[in-house]
Formats: sequence, C-alpha cells, structure tokens
Amino acid sequence: MSELKPTNRKAELLLDAVAEGHVAEVLAMETVAGCATTFDPGWEVDPFGGVASLCQPMEADLYGCSDPCWWPAQVPDTMSTYPNWDAGKPSAPGDWRDLDSVFPKK
Amino acid sequence: MELVRSLGSWAMGAAMAISATLALPLNASGAARAATPAADLLITGAKPDQLFIIDAATRSIRTEYHLAGANGQIFTIVTSPDQRIAYLLVDKMERILGIELATGREVFRADLSAPDERVKDFFALTVTPDGKELIAYELPTRLKPSEYIVEEPRFAVFRTDAGLAAKPVRSYPAPRRIHMLLMRPNGSTFYALGFDLYEYDVKTGKLLDTRGIQKWALADHSQPDLLAFWPVTEPTGVFTSPVYSELKKDDKGVPMTALMSLNLKSGELAYADFEPLSALIFSTVLSPDRSHAYGVYTTLTSVDMAGHRLEKRVPLDHTFYAVNVSTDGREIYVGGTNCDVGFYDAKTLAKNAILKLPGCSDQTLSTLRVIHDH
Repeated sequence: MSELKPTNRKAELLLDAVAEGHVAEVLAMETVAGCATTFDPGWEVDPFGGVASLCQPMEADLYGCSDPCWWPAQVPDTMSTYPNWDAGKPSAPGDWRDLDSVFPKK
Repeated sequence: MELVRSLGSWAMGAAMAISATLALPLNASGAARAATPAADLLITGAKPDQLFIIDAATRSIRTEYHLAGANGQIFTIVTSPDQRIAYLLVDKMERILGIELATGREVFRADLSAPDERVKDFFALTVTPDGKELIAYELPTRLKPSEYIVEEPRFAVFRTDAGLAAKPVRSYPAPRRIHMLLMRPNGSTFYALGFDLYEYDVKTGKLLDTRGIQKWALADHSQPDLLAFWPVTEPTGVFTSPVYSELKKDDKGVPMTALMSLNLKSGELAYADFEPLSALIFSTVLSPDRSHAYGVYTTLTSVDMAGHRLEKRVPLDHTFYAVNVSTDGREIYVGGTNCDVGFYDAKTLAKNAILKLPGCSDQTLSTLRVIHDH
C-alpha cells in the first residue's frame, strides 16, 4: 500500500481499513457477495493469462454477470443500478444487439 | 410435436395446462429413454419469469410457468422436502416465491425489502426437513434521504405457511459473504458457506461451529478459492464444489484443483486434490454411488473419487454453469446458462441430447434441480 495514494474518499477508506487491521477481509475471489467485492480478473483474461478459459461464448456469461452484479464495470448490473437493461431481451445470443451501452446518471 | 404419455398424479394438472415439446435426440444412443414410475424431472428457471419442469426421460418440457413476481430472473431454486413446492429467489434477489409445482400456484411470497430498507439475498436459502420453515440470508441497506447505510447481515426465518405476505418470525446475526445455506437432515442445524463453513442452530441462531474454508489447514496449500452458488445435494446428500489453490512444491507453487465434499448428515468435510489446474470448473455433483463427481464449465469433467484423479474431460458446446445427475447415475444434466439443457452419458461423457428452451430465454445462474415424478 505504501506505493499507492488514494485519489478519492472511497480509496481513502482502504487506508483506514489497513490502519484498523481489516486487511484480511480484502482477499481473493472466494465468496463473492455484492458488486464491490469482486476484484478478480474479468472478461479480459482467464486464470491462465489467456482467454481460452473464459466463458464460451461471451453470451453464455452475459446475463450471468449482469444479474448478480458481477464485474459491474464491464457489464451493467441489473441487480441495482440498471434494473431494466435487459427488459424485453431474455436471450443473450438472440438479443445482444439490442442491449444498449449505459452511462452514469449525473 | 405433441407428446402423449402417462403422467404422475401430482403433475397431472400442470401437464394438462401446457403442451409438451420434444427435444430432438442427437443420435441413436440419445433416443428418448423409457419413462419409469419415478422418472427424473428437472427444474430450471429462465428470464424473465419462466419456470420449467422437464421430463428427463423424454427430453421434453412437461410444464412451463410464467411467474408474475419473478421480475427478471430466477436464481436459486430449493424444493420442499416433499418436492411439491419450489422456493425461488427472484426479483433482483429481493423476493422469494413458493410455487406449487403441480399447478403453478403461488403459495408463498416474501418480499425482503421495505421502502426504507433494501435487502438482497445473495443466492442463499434453505428449507427445514419438515417443510415448515424457510431460512434466507439477508444483506440489508438502510435507504436514507441523503445516504445509504450498510447494515449488518442476518438470517431471517419464515414460516412456509405464511402466505403471500410472509414476514420473518425470527432473525439472527449472520456473517458477511455467505452465498449458500444447506440444511442438515437433523433439522436442528444448517450450514452457511462463506469465507468459512459455519453451522447454526435453526431455532436460536446460535453459531455452533466454524470450520475452515479460507482458513483451511491443508498442508502445503495456499489459501483456497471457491465459487459455490449452486446448492445441489441430490442425490447423495453430499454437497461438492471445486476448490482451487496452490500446492507448494520445491519452492514453487503448483496450481491445483481439489474437490470439497460436505456430507450434510455426518458433517464430514473433506478436500482432495485431483489434478493440477488445467481447466476451470464452476460446479460439481456427486454420482449416486459416490464413485464419481461430475463438473461443468466450458468442459464436462469426470472425477474418480476413490483415486482422487481426473478420469475424463470433454468439451461442451458452450459454457454451462450448473450440473446435476440422474437418480440412476446413468446420465449427467447440464444447464444454468443460455437456453439449453444438456443430457450426457455418465460413463463416456458423450452427448445424448440437447433440449432447447422455448424462446431461447437465458437461465442466468438458475439452479438445475432434480426431483422425482411421484
């Protein structure tokens, strides 16, 4: 942590966690519960450093990520932030062209 | 193509309401199997509100329900002990529905959230062996006008006869990061899987035992990693899951895949490496004779339980999240994502048949359960 500097309030909380001895709570992928605790590599790279062990094809994993808020930076989460993103589009292989990009509300 | 066959008593009403659709078998060995008096029925959910009951023997959809309260997807599916009611985690993980499988009638509903408190249940629910109580894991957030306050997680216990506006009859503190609840057959305690394995008293909520998952004590192994969202314990009463860690060997770390097994009756918890990590597995199931475990992701894997070794691996048509096994042990069922359910030979891992769900709606992490045609 000594080589990292927080640039916003949320990042400062990480330093607070270190100071308060909560570092052990920030661990590997196991037992994901909620968006913010998912830090494992996402759609870009698999555990072997390649792409062959990512979900195949991407559509097999699209709603598996959006619905439980997995990798919310890559896929809109329908659990809380964009609940209607998939409305009327129940088939990822068939409807992916109709899934829009999303932008944070100001 | 209409399917005419005799039906079990409880499913009669449901089958009358819905016409069945046959999946096309892929080859001679994949021809529809003869139905038996206690044939397997598969249960899965699909977006945005569909609950399917599938006749495994004929590879056909026996029943399809549209659930008004699903609102997007059906995640975890847990059945009542008599297998007449399916409890479903739906609506952005904020609602639990109880659906009578014979009729599609909604007999239970628990809306976890309130106007000033948002509650998510991250996959974890279970039902007591007498069918009278349902336990849910709640992650509450207080919604204030200018801020959200993250509250402490809790277990909430509902009576299953509470109807369509069920409220908890009791609740008690729970750890964070729980993603699965598994009831023990004794009915007095249940397991909660999280960073570690916890055991709680159903009545009092007292924490009775904590055993290591993240803090496991496997010699020369790194902290493990596991992903277990599919609470499948049929047909053996043993929950299994792949576990990933590094084996320290000659000052090097060798990535290994182990199988975790948790016997709900005896409480025995075991880990055993079965291969150097060469393919990811999302979920596993134990064969009825406990001789093999079967795992899925982009491949279908067979593990020799006695020898603790990878026995066979074949590629799948696409990623599948969920796996289950036939009651006679002859066939493996795969599902949980996209819009098809696969039937594979348990010995050869050859594809027997693929059943496409109508409309190709995505199953989105739905549990793939096996019940019996009574």
